[in-house]
Amino acid sequence: MKITFPYMGSPYMYEKLFTLLGHEVITPPKPSQKTVDYGVKYSPEFACFPLKVILGTYLEALELGADTIVTSGGNGPCRAGYYGEAQKKILRNMGYDVEFIIFDEPKKDIKGFMDNVMKIKGKSSWAQVIRTVKIVYDMAKSMDKIEKIVETKRAYECNKGEFTKAWHEITEEYRRIESSEDVKKVERKAIERLNSIKICEVPEKEKIRIGIVGEIYVVMEPSINGNIEEVLNAYGAEVERSHYISEWIDFNLIPLPSYKEKEHKILKKGEKYIEIIIGGHAKQSVGAIIDFMERGFDGVIHLKPFGCLPELVSQSVIDKIMREYDYPILSLSIDEQMAIANVLTRIEAFLDVIKLKKHRKKIAR
Amino acid sequence: MEKIYIGVDVGSVSIKVVAIDENNEVLFNSYVRNVGQPIDTVKDELAKLHNELATKEIGGVGVTGSGRQLLGYILGADVIKNEITAHATATLQFHPDVSTIFEIGGQDSKLIIINDGTITDFAMNTVCAAGTGSFLDHQAQRLGIKIEEFGEIALTAKRDVRIAGRCTVFAESDMISKQQYGFSKAEILKGLSKALVRNYMNNLVRGRKLKPVFVFQGGVAANIAIKKAFEEEVGHEVIVPKHYDIMGAIGIAMLAKDEMKRTGNSTKFKGFEVSEEKFETTSFICKACPNECEIIQIKANGKVIAMTGDRCGRYSNSVI
Repeated sequence: MKITFPYMGSPYMYEKLFTLLGHEVITPPKPSQKTVDYGVKYSPEFACFPLKVILGTYLEALELGADTIVTSGGNGPCRAGYYGEAQKKILRNMGYDVEFIIFDEPKKDIKGFMDNVMKIKGKSSWAQVIRTVKIVYDMAKSMDKIEKIVETKRAYECNKGEFTKAWHEITEEYRRIESSEDVKKVERKAIERLNSIKICEVPEKEKIRIGIVGEIYVVMEPSINGNIEEVLNAYGAEVERSHYISEWIDFNLIPLPSYKEKEHKILKKGEKYIEIIIGGHAKQSVGAIIDFMERGFDGVIHLKPFGCLPELVSQSVIDKIMREYDYPILSLSIDEQMAIANVLTRIEAFLDVIKLKKHRKKIAR
Repeated sequence: MEKIYIGVDVGSVSIKVVAIDENNEVLFNSYVRNVGQPIDTVKDELAKLHNELATKEIGGVGVTGSGRQLLGYILGADVIKNEITAHATATLQFHPDVSTIFEIGGQDSKLIIINDGTITDFAMNTVCAAGTGSFLDHQAQRLGIKIEEFGEIALTAKRDVRIAGRCTVFAESDMISKQQYGFSKAEILKGLSKALVRNYMNNLVRGRKLKPVFVFQGGVAANIAIKKAFEEEVGHEVIVPKHYDIMGAIGIAMLAKDEMKRTGNSTKFKGFEVSEEKFETTSFICKACPNECEIIQIKANGKVIAMTGDRCGRYSNSVI
């Protein structure tokens, strides 16, 4: 069994999980133009962009010798729930003999979930499985913690590119961990490393904080969203996302209520605008916008895959929120046709609007 | 010596070069088609500017438009800014009470909302070319009329005809079929104007409440039929400013002026000799990753001065 998986954010956690359980792992390459070309070519034209890119990723991993794909299913009435099934069918039609292990929410189908767990467990003992899951969970938490520092401080680096370089090297360190102690060690070293980077501080009043919300894949995968966090940082704005993998695990995989509090709080905030879960991350997106607003962020960028129905609904709600609160929100549609020059112009103008607004407030006071 | 400020707007269809004085009076302006060699075109226009205003001192230079980064680097611009901010800056100068700006250029259209003299919201067309100048240009050519006459002819139409304006291809086939039904050229042109405005409203305005004063600028503002269609749509007078086609360039010149005043620095402008340098553009495919980006390399007198086209910043960060 040669396992592969979708590429979203850092792939090293998944790689670590399967490696520590004794499987052979084919880590897919970072999505590139080739991935997108593959995905667009073999997916139905009307499918959402993440389905296409992930299919492209699978095809590349299959070329590298993978024979088993492990992925999560979706929940709610959005098409994402069928991604796994649709991709399975497409790959089988293309003649690939590939096994799919699709994890759906355990509470909906506990037996199916356990069957999948047994396949992944392989020959490892339960003690080993628990230990591994713990290590990987610690790793996810730790990496997200470090990435949040990068997303904040990179806005003020004196020499462009230092934080990005450090972040790449730090992720390579995480890749080599074997235990939870290693995670702690790497984290300590990472914080030291980031603290040593020269910062050109900006007065607190002039700092700009931007939240990024939207569909999870386009929010989490920088190679697909035009490195939006780095771009915003380069314009001198701090960034925080509405999605981090460790928070996704907390909400979706850990069956303890205390781990779900944050997400429930966000969902609650979206309730006024979208009452029910309409699929994808529409309700979360709207809730996260309100959350960022309440926390004093200066504006929000909303990312939606072209053709994503739930996020199209949130986009309509966004128009309303912008008017109701006079709050700057920029909605960007992402697919293979995205023109970078156009997107940069929008982002730059959006940041100008925010700066002008801040400036006006200062004068008014 | 009196100082002047230069503004350059490198659009996808046209290139605008202006010079303004301390009082934002336009002393020089030129509007030329971008035939794919923006560096040469700007060089020529700057030479003309220099000829006319040789006695003035250059106080600052600003560059805007889709080609702003590269041109800004080559000229030694003091300010490099997006066209949305630039356009609004100029409009606010000539019409300080403006609330809504419609801007339609060759390749894109914009809506800018102003509140108490600052931009508070904006939108750009995302998906389609049916709402832009290039499309009108193309259709005028197909109907055998000059684009300059488009507006006047459309206004002579007696009847209304509805043309599907969502997408250029469908708009064109709809126009052809309406022609075959016997509608006149004037009626088709009027229908097209209305379709463009309808498309603009659906795509950019998206239910926003628009407030007067309305200002309509960009190259397409020359078209009186489109202005009329906007007025019918918003139920209010729409102003086309005197310098409607060079507003972006004026705005960026003003921003350059403000920047120089604010910082007190002297301009980074490399001087008119820049127009003597030989520029050469080459490209190669980077093989460092599967993206295989096409890297565009710009040389001045044989020395690499700018690289662009890479997604990762491997080259573009290394030179500038």
